[in-house]
Amino acid sequence: MSEPTMRSPLHSFGLSEQAKPIDGSCGVWANELRHLGYISLRGNGADPAFATAASTAIGVSLPLRPCTFASSNGKTILWLSPDEWMIVCPRAQLSALLGSLRQALTDVRSQVVDNSGGYTQVIIEGRNALDVLQHVSVYDFASMEPGRVVGTTFGKSSVYAFRQGNGYRLVLRRSFADYIWRYLVRAAIPYGLGIADLAGSPLPEEGVPI
Amino acid sequence: MFVLFCPHCGEKREEEEFGYGGEAFIPRPATPEALDDEAWGDYLFMRKNPKGWHWEMWSHNTGCRKFFVVKRNTATNAIAGSWTLAEGRKAYDAEGGST
Repeated sequence: MSEPTMRSPLHSFGLSEQAKPIDGSCGVWANELRHLGYISLRGNGADPAFATAASTAIGVSLPLRPCTFASSNGKTILWLSPDEWMIVCPRAQLSALLGSLRQALTDVRSQVVDNSGGYTQVIIEGRNALDVLQHVSVYDFASMEPGRVVGTTFGKSSVYAFRQGNGYRLVLRRSFADYIWRYLVRAAIPYGLGIADLAGSPLPEEGVPI
Repeated sequence: MFVLFCPHCGEKREEEEFGYGGEAFIPRPATPEALDDEAWGDYLFMRKNPKGWHWEMWSHNTGCRKFFVVKRNTATNAIAGSWTLAEGRKAYDAEGGST
C-alpha cells in the first residue's frame, strides 16, 4: 500500500495552472482554497464551561449568536447550529488544534471530529460575484451583513456561505465539489469567470502525504 | 412557495431550504405492547390531514439541520408562527392540543 496523499476534489479542473492576478477583465473571480483543516465541534454553547474551554483552546471566542462567525490568526469558527460549530484552520495547525481542543474538553460533554477530508472551500470575488450567488441560491445575498454565515442552497446541493473581504467564501462538501464548481462556472458565463491567483494565501501542494 | 422563520437561526428563509417533517406532537402510546393492531396502525399511519390550521414539523435542511414546529394553514399557506419543539409544545397545549 502506498501512502495516502492529499488531493483536492477539484484537482481535475487544473485551477492552479489557470490562475492569474485579479484585474478588470472578468466579472467574477473564483478559485479553490484547497487543503484547509476542518474541525466539527459540538457541545452546549449555553454551558460556560464548554464555551470557555473551547474558546481558550482555539484562541478565538466561540460565536454564540446564531448565524455568525469569528476569525482570528487565520482561524475561523462558523456557527452552524445551536450546538455545532465548524473550525476552519490552516492544515499545518490542524493536529495541534485537535489535540488542544480534545485536551481542553476532556471533562466537558462535547464532540471534536476532524472533518478535513470532507470539505473544501471556494472563494468568489469580483464585481458580479453577488449576481452569480443570486443565480445559484435562494438566499438573499444582497442583504447579507458582514459577520454572518448562512447554510443555504446551491443548486440542488447546499453550502455554508460567508463574506470575507471583498468577496464571499463557500464551504462545501467534498462529494458535491464537482457539481458545485460546474454549476458556478455555468452561472458565471454572462459575466466572464477568471481563476483568481491565490498567491497571497499559500496552500499545501497537491499530492503530499496526509 | 413561502417563507419560514427558523427559530434556531433566527432568520426568515425560503421554503426551499426546508424539509417537511409531518404532523407535530403525535402522542406515542405509553404501552405499545398492549395495543391491538388497529390502534397501533392508527398511531403509525393515520394523520389528521385537516383543511385549515395544522401543527407540523419542518427541518432546516440546508441550514442548522434542526427540527422545529410551524402552525400553518393548509388551505391558504398562512403561517401563524414557528417555535422550537419545546416552545411549540407549550403553544400547542395552550390551544388545547387540537388543529
